[in-house]
Amino acid sequence: MHSIILDSVHKVFRPTGLFFPRRDKTETYALQGISLNISRGEVFALLGPNGSGKSTTLKLISTVLLPDRGAVLVNGADTRHQAPRVRQQVGFALASERSFFSRLTVRENLDFFATLENVPRGERGDCIQSVLSDVQLELHAGKQFMKLSSGLQQRMGIARALVKKPRVLLLDEPTRSLDPASAEHLWSLVRQLASTGITILIATHNFAEAVSVSDRTGILEKGRLRATRQTMGITAEQLRAQYMELTGEWEAAPWPEEVPA
Amino acid sequence: MILEKVLAVLKKDFLTAVRYRNGLLLNAFAPAGQLVMFYYLARSVGPQFRPEGMPYFTFLLVGTGFYTFLLTGMHSFFRSIQESQQTGTLEVLMTTSTPASVLLWLSVISVFASGLLQLALYIGGGFVLFRPALQVNVAGCVAVFFLSLLIVVSIGMIAAGLQVAIHKGSAALWLLGSTAWIISGTLFPVAALPRPMQILAGLLPLTHSLSGMRLALGSGPTSALIREIELLAMFSVMLVPASLWFFSWTVGRARQFGTLSHY
Repeated sequence: MHSIILDSVHKVFRPTGLFFPRRDKTETYALQGISLNISRGEVFALLGPNGSGKSTTLKLISTVLLPDRGAVLVNGADTRHQAPRVRQQVGFALASERSFFSRLTVRENLDFFATLENVPRGERGDCIQSVLSDVQLELHAGKQFMKLSSGLQQRMGIARALVKKPRVLLLDEPTRSLDPASAEHLWSLVRQLASTGITILIATHNFAEAVSVSDRTGILEKGRLRATRQTMGITAEQLRAQYMELTGEWEAAPWPEEVPA
Repeated sequence: MILEKVLAVLKKDFLTAVRYRNGLLLNAFAPAGQLVMFYYLARSVGPQFRPEGMPYFTFLLVGTGFYTFLLTGMHSFFRSIQESQQTGTLEVLMTTSTPASVLLWLSVISVFASGLLQLALYIGGGFVLFRPALQVNVAGCVAVFFLSLLIVVSIGMIAAGLQVAIHKGSAALWLLGSTAWIISGTLFPVAALPRPMQILAGLLPLTHSLSGMRLALGSGPTSALIREIELLAMFSVMLVPASLWFFSWTVGRARQFGTLSHY
């Protein structure tokens, strides 16, 4: 049973004007006919250079964006026609860490979003405590969001995505601001969540992350899915070599991240 | 569940407001200063000036108090969207299980609640301190207030839609707000304006809101009050469905073009 289906999805960003036609006619082809099936409980990592379409793919699955052509289905629900059903199932942790109310504490922020996500009042306290523990934020629960470091803010984004108990979890560069120990902890959390049947899609630049947590990896380049492969048994270095070959990024810097493999 | 969401929003906004202590203090004292200013302005103009048959102080009190409430409500929708865009919460909020239009309504509840409280304190304070004479038509007041609320909510939703679509809802509201401040009868009667401006004022719903509220509070002729209520009802019937459609259309368009978080 496929949890996420992308069927020939195209997404083009066009400059638009409401009242006046735009002179700038440049179109950005973010996704060009992507097809991808991800099974229930699978962890899938999307790799690709900046602007390759990773975040666009996640936004299409979360209903923030609508496809121009093709269809995106989440557990059978079409993101275009059944957006409320999709939203009930999808937790999305954005790469941006600023999307919280800065003067509220960690717990108050999570309580607010849990209410919007229809988490029953009786379960909310336990649920928040549980996700705070999952992302190791219990000690910071009483701090205002603006006083958190960027790494802690990023963990809070993940906590928010988990608070609704999603069936599909979308993580956009989840370890970008995390220290190595926190990154390792997050990877083990991702594996644990997947074992409970949650489908997880991670957009990342981190090869070590991709081989550590994912069952399969897909490589995006210029809006096209160039390859997908099983991750088991391959090293980060092998994955990197394949990525470089496919994307032509031979001139790339040495090893781009220092997180533990 | 919707009541829980309302309470969650009120709690969030209350906690945010009290944690900006200086702003809270200034907001509390600003209306008091304005009341004193209007009192002395009315005294310097003299008791013989009775616009629309009421003392000038009462005229100013009702006009500015009600106008400020309506304008604040109107701005709240646009500000809610703009703040969500700037803080990055808009895209996240749009992926929650709460529909976009419900989120927008929830986000302005606190503004209307605090605006109502300020209006009550402002007008109440004015009456307690300076004791102007009033003969209140309660049913008329409620009707004018309710219809005016529907109208400002509709205009606010159109401004929020413009903010989503062209990222400049503020320009439309500034134009409307500044025009209405001058010609809708906030500080001086519409009858004092040149004829073309009077016609323009008649096309603004805010003019009828202020006129209706003054008639209801100053016990003006019932026929004139009913006429203002009819006009406000007509504006509401046109604006409410149009604003709902426009906001949904702009959000759908932004999701298609990927411009939801642009500002």
